[in-house]
Amino acid sequence: MKKILTAFLLITALGTAPAMAADDSLIPVDMMNYIGYGVIMLMLILFVITMLVLLRTFKILTRLLMGAEAKNAAAEVEAEVIPAQPKNSLVNKLLSLRPMAEEESLLTEHDFDGIKELNNPTPAWFMGLFYITIVFAVGYLLVYHVFGVGQLQYEEYQTEMSIANKEKEAFLAKSANRVDENTVTLSSDGAVLQSGAAVFKTYCAACHGEHGQGIVGPNLTDEYWLHGGKINDLFKTIKYGVQAKGMPNWEKQLTPKQIADVANYIKSIYGTHPAGAKEPQGDEYKEAATSTANTASL
Amino acid sequence: MQPEKFYYDNKIVRNFGIATIVWGIIGMTVGLLVAMQLFKPGMNMGNQYTTFGRIRPLHTNAVIFAFVGNAIFMGVYYSLQRLLKARMFSDALSKIHFWGWQLIIVAAAITLPLGFTTSHEYAELEWPIDIAITLIWVVFGINMFGTIIKRRERHLYVAIWFYIATFVTIAVLHIVNSFELPISALKSYYLYAGVQDALVQWWYGHNAVAFFLTTPYLGMMYYFLPKMANRPVYSYKLSILHFWALIFIYIWAGPHHLLYTTLPGWAQSLGIVFSIMLIAPSWGGMINGLLTLRGAWDKVRDDVVLKFMVVGLTAYGMATFEGPMLSLKQVNAIGHFTDWIVAHVHVGALGWNGFLTFAILYWLIPRIYRTQLYSKKLASFHFWIGTLGILFYAVPMYWAGFTQGLMLKEFTPEGILKYPTFLETTLRIIPMHVMRAVGGGLYLLGVIAMAYNLAKTMAIGKLVAQEPAEAMPLEKVFVAHNEGDNFWHRVLERRPIQLMVLSLLVILIGSIIELIPTMTISSNVPTIASVKPYTPLELQGRDIYIREGCVNCHSQTVRPFRSETERYGEYSKAGEFVYDHPFLWGSKRTGPDLQREGGKYSNAWHYNHMLDPRLMSPGSIMPNYDWLINQKLDTTTTAAKINAMRTLGVPYANGYEKLANTELDKQAQGIADNLAKDKIKVQCDREIVALIAYLQRLGTDIKVTKTANNN
Repeated sequence: MKKILTAFLLITALGTAPAMAADDSLIPVDMMNYIGYGVIMLMLILFVITMLVLLRTFKILTRLLMGAEAKNAAAEVEAEVIPAQPKNSLVNKLLSLRPMAEEESLLTEHDFDGIKELNNPTPAWFMGLFYITIVFAVGYLLVYHVFGVGQLQYEEYQTEMSIANKEKEAFLAKSANRVDENTVTLSSDGAVLQSGAAVFKTYCAACHGEHGQGIVGPNLTDEYWLHGGKINDLFKTIKYGVQAKGMPNWEKQLTPKQIADVANYIKSIYGTHPAGAKEPQGDEYKEAATSTANTASL
Repeated sequence: MQPEKFYYDNKIVRNFGIATIVWGIIGMTVGLLVAMQLFKPGMNMGNQYTTFGRIRPLHTNAVIFAFVGNAIFMGVYYSLQRLLKARMFSDALSKIHFWGWQLIIVAAAITLPLGFTTSHEYAELEWPIDIAITLIWVVFGINMFGTIIKRRERHLYVAIWFYIATFVTIAVLHIVNSFELPISALKSYYLYAGVQDALVQWWYGHNAVAFFLTTPYLGMMYYFLPKMANRPVYSYKLSILHFWALIFIYIWAGPHHLLYTTLPGWAQSLGIVFSIMLIAPSWGGMINGLLTLRGAWDKVRDDVVLKFMVVGLTAYGMATFEGPMLSLKQVNAIGHFTDWIVAHVHVGALGWNGFLTFAILYWLIPRIYRTQLYSKKLASFHFWIGTLGILFYAVPMYWAGFTQGLMLKEFTPEGILKYPTFLETTLRIIPMHVMRAVGGGLYLLGVIAMAYNLAKTMAIGKLVAQEPAEAMPLEKVFVAHNEGDNFWHRVLERRPIQLMVLSLLVILIGSIIELIPTMTISSNVPTIASVKPYTPLELQGRDIYIREGCVNCHSQTVRPFRSETERYGEYSKAGEFVYDHPFLWGSKRTGPDLQREGGKYSNAWHYNHMLDPRLMSPGSIMPNYDWLINQKLDTTTTAAKINAMRTLGVPYANGYEKLANTELDKQAQGIADNLAKDKIKVQCDREIVALIAYLQRLGTDIKVTKTANNN
């Protein structure tokens, strides 16, 4: 039984993992969805089965235990409860439950349409809970609004941002990821183009067309460019966007490397003349010293 | 003195009971339909009247005000007569109350799909219906207090304290949240704008939960549970303590719906701490109920009615613990705007309100028909399938909420969002939405089984419309017989008007302390000079946004979190909303936030996206809004709208309403020309143009973006 339980917990953990899993997970997103789906179904079905089994067990147990002696047994149980009281007096104090036998003495004279009311004390644990929440409330207001120890939302935001910036700097300092519009270089490396093609398909194709032919956005396969056709210009346009023309800025959604990759991919589809290409927009741009120079520099 | 003979009115109870069942089935069916649209947008059946944004409010209004509302009146009319030993004050008022309430529901069922909405959640109905609700509520109040005054029982039982608190508080909430300036028969603008409007709305919204879904049900629990179990109420002291604590504290908790928004920090903190203090008073009702069953647990095993009560009370206990936890800002940061909240409210609605209603129906219908329940087996089936339905509903929704909440906050080591497109997170939780619909379907199946069971029960029995009873009349002067009669609260219990006034004062304290400073002290809403009123076209576009119920899925408030400012842009400022009558911050992000939508995409992108969202965002679950492209914008209202806004304090120049439509046409032509450049032919007088104008304006007043051109 324990094994099954452990296995079960493991599966459950796996199911939740997708949200936190690493980028380069072997299992595709769709697959993870189905696994999560299956696990939930399985859990709920298992839950139902367990409940049914338990219900059945309880029914049999009651029949066995309570059978003909049910009435006597009930009376005995009540009689036993009273002497057992001093044993766990703290628990009893917290629960503040009076023995059932004392009930008569607790009745008030109230009678509403046959409904009687007992005058039981409010349970000690309940009052404790109430007082604790009140203390918490006072403490909370003091911490955030009188002593100024706690950070309210705008300070909290500044703290969050400064920590994030430090972490980001630290990470970028030791990685090769640090490329910007001044340092980007033209590349025809297979891996770069492949990565760029993937980014293009996800983020750019909706407006520029699957083959870069241009739909809402301009055609990217001809030699005409609205904001410059140099690799550095492309990088800049993608990074910062062109608000007036509806080109979003991507610096918050794509890493510098991804921007470089997709810029290179766009350079690589030059002259492919896809079907339904949009008419040229902008100024003509010719790569000054074409790929040869760049390959050499690589 | 002779005992007086009189008759209880059971017919009105029966009528409210049938209305409860009928509206329950309708409301839940609409719920199932909207649930299915969240994984298959085509389930809107391709027309605007059955699309999510318009019928999600229909679902919430139907289950809250039609299903639960009728159940409250059923329970109150049954128990009040018996607890006061008197027939209802006036049969005519009872009838007006019943038919008036049903007419209001029918009016809601017609106007909401047609797109007439104020956009305030759970208060979507337009101003004429708001007036009707007020009148009918007053009728209910007169009928209730009339009965109390001619009562034959000196003291008011705890159930009636809760009914009285419900009556006065709902009246205050409804009236304050309905201050609207009508501009036509079915369109109005709220008097408040932005932050103030948001605070009023959530003060109302939260306390609609408190005083419509909680206090009347606690009152009903206090009558029906001791009756069902044949046990005395556990603790009179606890009743007093938790009643006053509950109504005093509940009213303060509204701002927890607005954490991390531009609501002033002090108001947010008050919302948090009062929510935490609410745990014990809420649980007071649960433990008083569960401990009343002490010594009767053997009955719970056999009696399906008590089973419903126990699960209902437990669900109440869970929801009222979870609520305060969600109010803590650290938890709220993850849970807010996600399916977690949807799971939370449904535990309360399906468990507490639903199950208590079913228990009361199963107990009461056979009694007023002098017969036995048609099938105990079927009732038992209802209990189990209902419980399963709740589980199948809640578990996937919690899962979906955590998953999406965490995904949206995740960053890569490079410091960019791990899931930059919102859609990725939506697609991940679609299977959970499928499961949720299955759970809701099971629950609905149970209700249908109940309807059949009760219809059969009614058929085999005969309604005792006039149930004879007798009681001694009250003596003119009260003489205390017992020592207990001089206890201060006992004194209050025989003075209904004082009790009502006192509960009114108790709920006004929190309301006034939170609302008045936010309304009047200018430092709470700092103004921004660059924020200008909407142009006439944008104003019309905004009303289309309201009509289509976009606010049901898209928020318009960017919280100050790194994950949100990176995703959406600069966080919201209070001064940006000063011309927003009403505010449109929303409470759920099924889609992304739109506060900084302006200028993010081109007009052509928006056009294509509204035509079919999947063209621009493959896999999107947003429905098509193709009718906006065919429908002509109604510009006859422009002048009235400008005038109304000016009355509300929006600085349009005098006489501007005469130029407004000329300006509107000019701006519309500009957008149509811009679309034409992208080979999109659209007439400039179509609704889509106005909506695009509004979307492109959103959040741009203070927007500073780096672009390649000015960089």
